[in-house]
Amino acid sequence: MTASPRRKVLLAPVTVTPAKPLTPSHLKGLLWTDVMFRATARLADVTYRYSHTAYHLTEQTLGFWEYLDRTRGDVDYSGMSEEDVGELYVRFRAEGGTPTAAALRPYAESAEAGWVHPASERVLRRWLDHYADLGLHEPGLLAHQPPELGLEEMVAALVERGLGLDQRDVGGPVFLDATRFGLPLRQIVSPDGRPNYLACALRDLLPLAPRHDEVVLLYDSELDPDYQLLQRVLADDGTVVHRVPLGRVPIDGKITSARHGGWHDHTVGTILRSIRDTHEPRARHLGLRLYFIAVLGPGQQESWRHDLLHRCLDRAERLLARTTAGHRDEPAGESTPDLARELARHRRDHTHVDPYRLTSSLLGRRAPAGELLTEVFL
Amino acid sequence: MTLTPELLRSVAAARLRDTHPELSAHVDSSTPQALRELAPRGDTVVVTVIGRFSLPDWVRETCRFALSVPVERRAPWLRSFTRTVHLSGRPDNLRDRFAFDHVAADGSAAWLGPAPDADTATLRRLLKTFRGGRELGAWSPVTVEIPGDAPRPPVHRDLYVATANVTVARTLVQVNHLLVESVLDGLIGPGDRLTLRAVPRLTGLTVPLAALRVDADSHRPHELQAYAALTEEA
Repeated sequence: MTASPRRKVLLAPVTVTPAKPLTPSHLKGLLWTDVMFRATARLADVTYRYSHTAYHLTEQTLGFWEYLDRTRGDVDYSGMSEEDVGELYVRFRAEGGTPTAAALRPYAESAEAGWVHPASERVLRRWLDHYADLGLHEPGLLAHQPPELGLEEMVAALVERGLGLDQRDVGGPVFLDATRFGLPLRQIVSPDGRPNYLACALRDLLPLAPRHDEVVLLYDSELDPDYQLLQRVLADDGTVVHRVPLGRVPIDGKITSARHGGWHDHTVGTILRSIRDTHEPRARHLGLRLYFIAVLGPGQQESWRHDLLHRCLDRAERLLARTTAGHRDEPAGESTPDLARELARHRRDHTHVDPYRLTSSLLGRRAPAGELLTEVFL
Repeated sequence: MTLTPELLRSVAAARLRDTHPELSAHVDSSTPQALRELAPRGDTVVVTVIGRFSLPDWVRETCRFALSVPVERRAPWLRSFTRTVHLSGRPDNLRDRFAFDHVAADGSAAWLGPAPDADTATLRRLLKTFRGGRELGAWSPVTVEIPGDAPRPPVHRDLYVATANVTVARTLVQVNHLLVESVLDGLIGPGDRLTLRAVPRLTGLTVPLAALRVDADSHRPHELQAYAALTEEA
C-alpha cells in the first residue's frame, strides 16, 4: 500500500511590527500559530512563512525608522529594552505627520536589500529570547527573507488578472480590485508609491500560494475586511485559502493597540518573568498554551487574567505528571499512527489542525499521550 | 469674445437662469460661494466609473453617453446642474452586478444614471472617489469625432482646456459639465468633431465661443475662472 502524498500547507500569520513590546494579544497569535504549525507538520508539509523583510516596507515601519534618525540621531540602541523602543514608537505615532515617499526612499531601498534599523533589530533580538523562553518554533525573525515579487511585478500581476487597478499615471493610487466578488475597492499603494501592508502581503504570498494545496491566514480579527480581500485574491487561481481570525486579549475589558502604549506590566517579558520562578519550563510552555488557546478561545470576550493563567500553569503541571510515555525514537517529520490519528481528529474539512479543538481536548483528559505533548505543546 | 470677470459672472448667472429660472431673481450667482451653495441642489446624479483615462477617448465617450440619455431624464439632471460623481473602478469587474447606461467602447469607463442618489448608493459604496492628483500637462491638438448618425450637418469645434494648476480629477469635473450640457443643449451632436487644445489658462482667448465652463479660480477661490471653452464652428 502506498501512502497518499503529503499535502503542502502554507501557514502565513500576520507579522508584528518590530517597534514595540509583545503584548498578550501578540502572544495569543504566536501560540496559536505555533500549535497549528507543529501539529499540522506531523500530517503535512508545512511552510511557516513569517518574513519581516516583506513587511518592513510598510509606512509604519519605514516611517518609524526615518523618524528615529531624524529626531534622535546616531544613538546606541543595543542597550534599550523593547519598552524603551516602544515608547519612541508611541511618540512617533502620536506626533503624526505622514512622511513623504522621498524621505522614506533610502529606507525602503535598504530594507529591500536586507537592512534593518538597529532599533528594530534590538526589538527582534529580544523577541528571539522570548521565542526561546516560550518554546516557539523560530521562523527566521532576523533572516533576510525577501518577497519573490517586486512591487511593480505584483501590481502588474494583479492588473493582468483583473484584480488590480493602477491609476498612478494620473496621480491616483493602486487599488486591489475584488469588486467582482462584491468586495469594496481597497487602496494598496499611495499615489506617490508608498505600499501598505496588504501590498507587502501580496508581494510575499501571491507567488507562494499556488505552490501549496492549502493556505492558512492567521490574523487579528480587526483586519478581517483586508484578509477577506487577500483570501479572494490568493484563491483566484483555485488555491484553497482559509482565514483564521483571532480576537485580541482585552486588558481590564479594554482592547487597545500597542501603538498607543499603555502596555505597562502586561508585556510578554513581564509575564514570563512573573512565572519563571513558580513553574518549570515544560509547565510554562503547556500552561501558556492552555490559557491563550483553550481558555481564551478565538474570540475576544475574556479579559486577561493572571489568576487564570496560574490555574492553567498548575493544570499543566498535573497533566505532565500524569502523562503516558512518549515515543521520541521516531524519525523527525514522521508520526506514529496513534499521534497522526489523534491530530487528524482536529482537522475538520481542512488539512491544517485546529489549535483550539486540539488544545481544548487536553483539558478533558486525565492523561494525554506524552508524544502529543512533546511534539506539539512543549 | 474676450474673457473678463464680468463675462465669467454673466456666464455663471446665465447657467443658473436657464436651469433654475425661479431662483435667478433672488440668488446672487456672481461669486464662487453662491455657486457652491447651489451645486448640491437636486438629487439626480450620474456616476462615472473610470478605469483607464485618456482625454480624447473620455471626451468622445462622455458625449456618446450624454447623447444616449433619454429625454425624460434630461430635465432632472439639468436641474441638478448635471451633477456627476467620478469614481475609480474597473467596468469589466462591475458589469455583472450593475446595469450601466453606457460603457466606453474600449471598456475604460462606464456611466450609470442620471438617477436618484439612492439608486447609485451600492455602486458608490463599493468604489472610491477618482483621485487623479497629477496635472494633465499640455498635448498637441487632437481631434475626436462623435460617432452616430448626424441628424444635422456635422460641426467642427475647438475645445480649449485650461491645464495650469488643474489636476486630472478637476479637469474631468469641469470638462464633463461643459460637454454634457453642450450635448443636452444641442451644441454637440453625432458626427461632430472636436479638436482638443491645451492652454495653461483660457485668458486672452479671442475666438467666438459657443459655451464656457466657469467655476471657482484654482488660485483665488473667491474669484471665478474659465476652465474649458467650446468654440463656434472652427
